[in-house]
Amino acid sequence: MELFWFCAVLSVIGLICYGLQIWSVRSTLGMKKGCSIVKDNACPADIALQKFTPPVSILKPLKGLDDNLFDNLESFCHLDYPEYEIIYSLQDYNDPAYKIAKKIKDKYHEKDISIIVERCNEGLNPKINNLIPAYRVSKYQYILISDSNVQVDKDYLADVASCMSDPDVGLVSNLIRGMSGRTFGSVLENLHLNSFIIGSVCFLDKFLKMPCVIGKSMLMKKSDLKALGGLTAVKDVLAEDYIIGRGMHEMGKKVVLSNHVIDNVNEYWGFGRFINRHTRWAKMRLKIGGIKYFSELVGNPVFISAVPFVYEQTQINLIFAMLVSVFKVLGDILLGKKLHTKMNSFCYLFSPLRDMLIGIIWFVPLISQTVIWRGNKYVIRKDSRLFPCPETGIWSIKYRFTDSIRALLAW
Amino acid sequence: MLLCDFHIHTKYSDGSVELRKTVDLFGQAGFDVIAITDHVVNGDSYLGKLAHRFRLTINESNFDQYMEHIHEEAQRALDKYGMLVIPGVEISKNYASSEKSAHLLILDIKEFIPACLEYEKIFLSAKEQGALIIACHPHHTSEMINKDTLFLWKNREKYGKYIDAWEIANRDDVFNVISLKKYPYIANSDFHKVRHIYSWKTLLNCEKNADSVKQCIRNNKGVAITLFRN
Repeated sequence: MELFWFCAVLSVIGLICYGLQIWSVRSTLGMKKGCSIVKDNACPADIALQKFTPPVSILKPLKGLDDNLFDNLESFCHLDYPEYEIIYSLQDYNDPAYKIAKKIKDKYHEKDISIIVERCNEGLNPKINNLIPAYRVSKYQYILISDSNVQVDKDYLADVASCMSDPDVGLVSNLIRGMSGRTFGSVLENLHLNSFIIGSVCFLDKFLKMPCVIGKSMLMKKSDLKALGGLTAVKDVLAEDYIIGRGMHEMGKKVVLSNHVIDNVNEYWGFGRFINRHTRWAKMRLKIGGIKYFSELVGNPVFISAVPFVYEQTQINLIFAMLVSVFKVLGDILLGKKLHTKMNSFCYLFSPLRDMLIGIIWFVPLISQTVIWRGNKYVIRKDSRLFPCPETGIWSIKYRFTDSIRALLAW
Repeated sequence: MLLCDFHIHTKYSDGSVELRKTVDLFGQAGFDVIAITDHVVNGDSYLGKLAHRFRLTINESNFDQYMEHIHEEAQRALDKYGMLVIPGVEISKNYASSEKSAHLLILDIKEFIPACLEYEKIFLSAKEQGALIIACHPHHTSEMINKDTLFLWKNREKYGKYIDAWEIANRDDVFNVISLKKYPYIANSDFHKVRHIYSWKTLLNCEKNADSVKQCIRNNKGVAITLFRN
């Protein structure tokens, strides 16, 4: 019974936290379009500043085929913005994304689009390796690092750039919404992005004033990035977005969360990919957050409420676990409606399953420090710093052991 | 080089993806030329009757609608992705015995060809329409569920002259017998599910229009195969 009451209290706290997350998302989205620091009672001078439209270099690191890659890249050619360039950056001509980049460049030949193909091995983070050559050739002072799996509308850049009108702003990032799931893995991924991820980002921004940057969209000035040591300073970390955001914050620059929601199209994800990504992200969060990582478990009331039932299959334990799941599903539906995710209502029934999986994944970083990212394997240490995974010798034994387990589970 | 896949099924037969989504899937992945080739199944066998019963086949009554839909999508694909979409069918003669079964792609088809016709009549009808005839998965495959279709390979001496090219690779399988006989070849995915997009494909060195593509395959000059992976 003690276990039940302990878990019940934690679950209620978790539900309250989730309620606050929902409130913070609604509050962020309810603000005037642009960024969360722009208030409704902005004076005319502020409004004039919001029309700030400096020339921007959009850096697009490409690797492999993302769902809807053509549409994702094409959406950046329709931006309603006076002056910008797009730089697609790849490591290899044989990358299937090269063909798409070439097609977009040919289709929109009037746009300022360039493709850089250069093998860069400066660091262990493949995204940074991809970005370094693009950064080098970029023309403008303002750079937007934008992942290949996001799709935007035509007002996106104008909205994001307007946040930069305040000279104290160092970095602008965006809210991400998961869209278009057609497979089980995609549905789980989108449910997670549209509840836990977006909720946590807004919660940290609103209540804890902590910069929580998601690297899918980051606008900043070259001078600020240079002051942090440039891209090479984050070439060996997994969470380059978080580290850059934290660096800006420590430098006294504002890190702003724009309420312009951008779409992350996850259409045909396999179940394994969902597990792999969130295991990697969980490991990253443990290495960044340290002890704070343990609060995440409280933020998963569905998982916590299921623990007494797993321990003892009584009616009250089952009813409690189901009640918590119902509240959580209702919360997810509410967030989904607010975000206009167009997700089939039936899909929300998978939400408790997703919470259970995320609850199990939560434990993985406690026993494993290796990550596989874009086909490369690394050991992850403090602040998500990456180290090559030893392949031979005594220190490789435990990594080979986890490899064999992973192979067994076919991750 | 044009990245091509000439063997694609949709929900018009036994594919799991709708035609529009299939076109988008290949367009988004950067393909230059694809052919939609839903099954036209023979109705003169038990297996064939089942396919008709469960509407896993194109038939005479919905052929025009099928073609119209493909042409509509072809225009959209050309405008949006610069991708050429060729209409086609896979004539599927299914029997209990693998040795009697055969599947053949008719690319750039214009009029309906029933699968229960004799082989010569099917070939001649396709030739009259200026279509391309491809023998697909002609040898033993690794597929556990689908049966082999060996009839054309077993009777290649008789029917080889009608066939413009043979599938040297189909999805994950490679048929080395095709190269040993030095037949014209192409490689396709036999796309039924989304994951099948990552499979063997054809690369053609020719202009991006139906006539050039057909000519290139017939001549088998400037043809290569590639294993398309992410």
